[in-house]
Amino acid sequence: MQNYISQQNFNALLDSLISQGKRVVAPRTNAGTVLYEPLANAADMVIDQLPRRSGKEAFFPLCEDIMTYQKEGQKIELQDIDPTRFLETVLVGVRPCDAAAIPVLDAVFSWDYKDEFFLERRKKTTIIGLACTQADDACFCTAVGLTPADPKGADLFLTPLEGGGYACETQSEKGEALVANNKELFAEPNGYKPLPLAEPQTGKFDLKKVKAWLDEHFEDPAWDSIATRCVGCGACAFVCPACHCFDIVDEGTEKQGKRRKNWDACGFWKFTHHASGHNPRDQQPKRYRNRIMHKFKYYDDKFGQTLCTGCGRCIRLCPVGIDIADILQDIDKIEVKVKVEENS
Amino acid sequence: MCENTNKNIYLPYLATVEEVIDETPDVRTLRLVFQDEQVRENFSFRAGQFAEYSAFGAGESTFCIASSPTRKGYIECCFRSVGRVTEELRRLEPGDTMGVRGPYGNSYPIEELFGKNLVFVAGGIALPPLRTLIWNCLDLRDKFGEITIVYGARTQADLVYKRELQEWEQRGDVRLVKTVDPGGNGPDWDGQVGFVPTILAETAPSADNTIALVCGPPVMIKFTLPVLEKLCFGDDQVYTTLENRMKCGLGKCGRCNVGNVYVCKDGPVFTAAQVKAMPMEF
Ligand code: SF4
Ligand code: SF4
Ligand code: FES
Repeated sequence: MQNYISQQNFNALLDSLISQGKRVVAPRTNAGTVLYEPLANAADMVIDQLPRRSGKEAFFPLCEDIMTYQKEGQKIELQDIDPTRFLETVLVGVRPCDAAAIPVLDAVFSWDYKDEFFLERRKKTTIIGLACTQADDACFCTAVGLTPADPKGADLFLTPLEGGGYACETQSEKGEALVANNKELFAEPNGYKPLPLAEPQTGKFDLKKVKAWLDEHFEDPAWDSIATRCVGCGACAFVCPACHCFDIVDEGTEKQGKRRKNWDACGFWKFTHHASGHNPRDQQPKRYRNRIMHKFKYYDDKFGQTLCTGCGRCIRLCPVGIDIADILQDIDKIEVKVKVEENS
Repeated sequence: MCENTNKNIYLPYLATVEEVIDETPDVRTLRLVFQDEQVRENFSFRAGQFAEYSAFGAGESTFCIASSPTRKGYIECCFRSVGRVTEELRRLEPGDTMGVRGPYGNSYPIEELFGKNLVFVAGGIALPPLRTLIWNCLDLRDKFGEITIVYGARTQADLVYKRELQEWEQRGDVRLVKTVDPGGNGPDWDGQVGFVPTILAETAPSADNTIALVCGPPVMIKFTLPVLEKLCFGDDQVYTTLENRMKCGLGKCGRCNVGNVYVCKDGPVFTAAQVKAMPMEF
């Protein structure tokens, strides 16, 4: 089923959702930076811009309370967080690289133990995806198996059209409900032409070859020269749509306070630091190796997917110019070399 | 296994500190009783599993459950105060409240140990993760063959569970070999002097129909495994526990991995064969 919606009607749709009390999260400019944030008006949306951080915050906030505690003499009372208070949300303008990361996160938060903080919000969120028409030098979604028109992870998928408006494809019951409840805003498609899709860099590396090398080379001299510049700032993890590591910390006094789940990053030296003082990843290259290994091997071993969607955010933001796509390309080259040597 | 009825997987059970026991100047045991009657009755675990212990306001810390599953009505944890959370836990007095999440992780395959001889090898503060199993086995004594315990610490003062060491020494059905590092012995020391791997080699337990269970600091493990190998223990006859830094204990926070193995889910108990297949990241 395909439908057309004009930009005007799309904004009207979002405004109506906002007026119904739904949280509408979309790219918005905040102090000069574009971020996914709740909108007060659809007119504030800058849907043509890729936000600096990913959309995962809609289900996995940077920082969230997971309980509160109160002390009274020797007694302690804990207050659970009521998940029914999470708002119905519509996440808007999610490009394929962000949308594809959502099922990846689902796997982590739902295997074995269920993280209700993530899953409840996820259940209450409808994702409006957007085909991508603008790539920059950092984008490499096509190298990790996606395309700028990949609807994976979206409930409703929009393709921008020449002359304005979008072609809409429903991808799930949530998407169908959204269209069905707002039928009057959609029209029959009629000879509209999609805008040309983005053309991200492609063919930099072969994912299978990279994985094959990682499988065999946890110890390899190559690691000593990969990402030696990394200063361990953690920015790459914080902007990544697929990174999901977190910390659990108490904030408050001895008398009362809250326990929170905060984003964390394997690039931080403290991440694996034992209380005894021992640190199994005691040097930055070991930490960076974990980043690559987790994304392109461990996660794949466990869940059969890659923990990177090629959004390029970490490349754009790294203060010392580390380019993960270049590193994967280098690894891909090593593998070629190894093969040639074996054959000769 | 006790199904945690909390929907919020991060919400701990509340427990009252029933008893505080100082094992060494900086190692302490807390005996804990769950405050909720149903939890008290239903909480069950297997030897080898761990938990997250809360000192509210400071955070959570990960240790094994150090008491035996055969001893009902309470659990014990044992820790050295080395950080913010453990220092707060150390300030708790009988009657105080703390939090416990768990039990988490896998456990020793005790059923597979039935009918076997057992050799426990522990160093320093790493006796608690074996002590749960030692008491578990001693409480089911008939089911096992010979039981040997080789335990050492840096000095006499650093030995934990001193009363229990005495008890094991006095029992006729356990062979306890205790040792301290050279220089760690006082005038009243009646045990061995030497590092654990050396003393284990001298004790020379037979590998025949025997399982070895080893816990200790990484360097002790490193030197103990070759000794066991020399004594003809196969890598599948040797179990150990890994202790990476953890936060969630639930396979979510991404912190505890050694290669693609999650210590909190796939461990903490591993065979030597499994450990040898892992990258050196612990
Ligand atoms: S690793 Fe970098 S390029 Fe890949 S998804 Fe994360 S931020 Fe985007
Ligand atoms: S953004 Fe760059 S410097 Fe910072 S942790 Fe990531 S790779 Fe290292
Ligand atoms: S401790 Fe969080 S994943 Fe293992």
